[in-house]
Amino acid sequence: MLTGDGLRLLEETLELPPHSLTGRESLAELRAWDSLSTMGFIAAADRKFGVPLPGSQVYRCKTVAELIGLLETAVAKRAA
Amino acid sequence: MEVRRFPLYASVRAIEYHLPEQTLTNAELAAAFPDWSVDKIATKTGIVQRHIASEEECASDLAVTAARKLFASGVCRPDDLDFLLFCTQSPDYFLPTTACLLQERLGIPTHAGALDFNLGCSGFVYGLSLAKGLVETGQAQNVLLLTADTYSKFLHTEDRGVRTLFGDAAAATLIQGRPDAACVDSSWIGPFVFGTDGRGAENLIVRHGGMRERESLGHLHMNGPEIFTFTLRAVPKAVNDLLARAEKMLDDVDLFVFHQANRYMLEHLRDKLSIPHEKFVLHLSHCGNTVSSTIPIALKEAQTQGQLHRDRLVMVVGFGVGYSWGATLLRWAC
Repeated sequence: MLTGDGLRLLEETLELPPHSLTGRESLAELRAWDSLSTMGFIAAADRKFGVPLPGSQVYRCKTVAELIGLLETAVAKRAA
Repeated sequence: MEVRRFPLYASVRAIEYHLPEQTLTNAELAAAFPDWSVDKIATKTGIVQRHIASEEECASDLAVTAARKLFASGVCRPDDLDFLLFCTQSPDYFLPTTACLLQERLGIPTHAGALDFNLGCSGFVYGLSLAKGLVETGQAQNVLLLTADTYSKFLHTEDRGVRTLFGDAAAATLIQGRPDAACVDSSWIGPFVFGTDGRGAENLIVRHGGMRERESLGHLHMNGPEIFTFTLRAVPKAVNDLLARAEKMLDDVDLFVFHQANRYMLEHLRDKLSIPHEKFVLHLSHCGNTVSSTIPIALKEAQTQGQLHRDRLVMVVGFGVGYSWGATLLRWAC
């Protein structure tokens, strides 16, 4: 899984234009990031990569980069 | 009590439900929380309105109305009942047992057994299991399973996440013993699979007001993302374990009625399990997540709307607070 795949997945979940996220953003600053979209991202990750991300860890992520890192780790762990 | 000479098979004979009069609409929520639009709430949750008990109205009051609807339908009288099971997490008192109060209010004979059990969204499935055990071991013939909760009394007015989802309700289900099996070697109810994982306790909890933390009644805390991850892990496994135990394939099941948590979660579980849309019941738009009453309400509505007919095979799956989960198959006998 490439970092770009994770960013596109988050953009789709938040209904943001493609390639609008760089990874440097704070999640708190993204207006669409709330409890519903958190659930949406967990569902999207499960659908696309077959990994149920731990909800509490998703909740603790402060930045887009942390969130994508969490996804990358989960996908890598599943592949191992 | 009459001595029965033949084995009886437990079956769901009838369901009725009751919603309190007062409602909370998406427009009211959107006015209170301007970040969320009416459309967004409806699209994501599948809920248009929830019914909210009045200040003086308790779960037992809702249960009484649901039970009286059942009696009024003519399917049974209070005199016919020999056991009352009451599932709630919002009882009238610490003690006495609310089921004892319900026995008196409903005019159920004093020779009937009655007990409360404290479960949330898995409660209906566990209630079916308890009722089946009572009937098929000859301890009871007509079991009234009441599920009722007033979660609204636990919700903080500023917590939009939970106020959006939960509504109050009660359901009354009659489980009756009958001499005939559904078909050769087949039960009307069962088999069952259960699951429990107390590590999830902190993710859906009303911490204060019990004996451990005795301050005044606390508010419901829900870690939504963690609950969602739990369902992704637990529900598909429960469905597959139940199919294996029943020696059935997914295609053998005519209708799937899962706990109606929210539309987003349900649609994801449906797609993950490859359940056809037409076999999957979504029924929460008018009442929200009513905890242990979502499954009987959805069953009743599926029957009313012609989705559910006699002899159809239905899978019901409850999951949530605890964590606790359970699943069973019903050969529909109504």
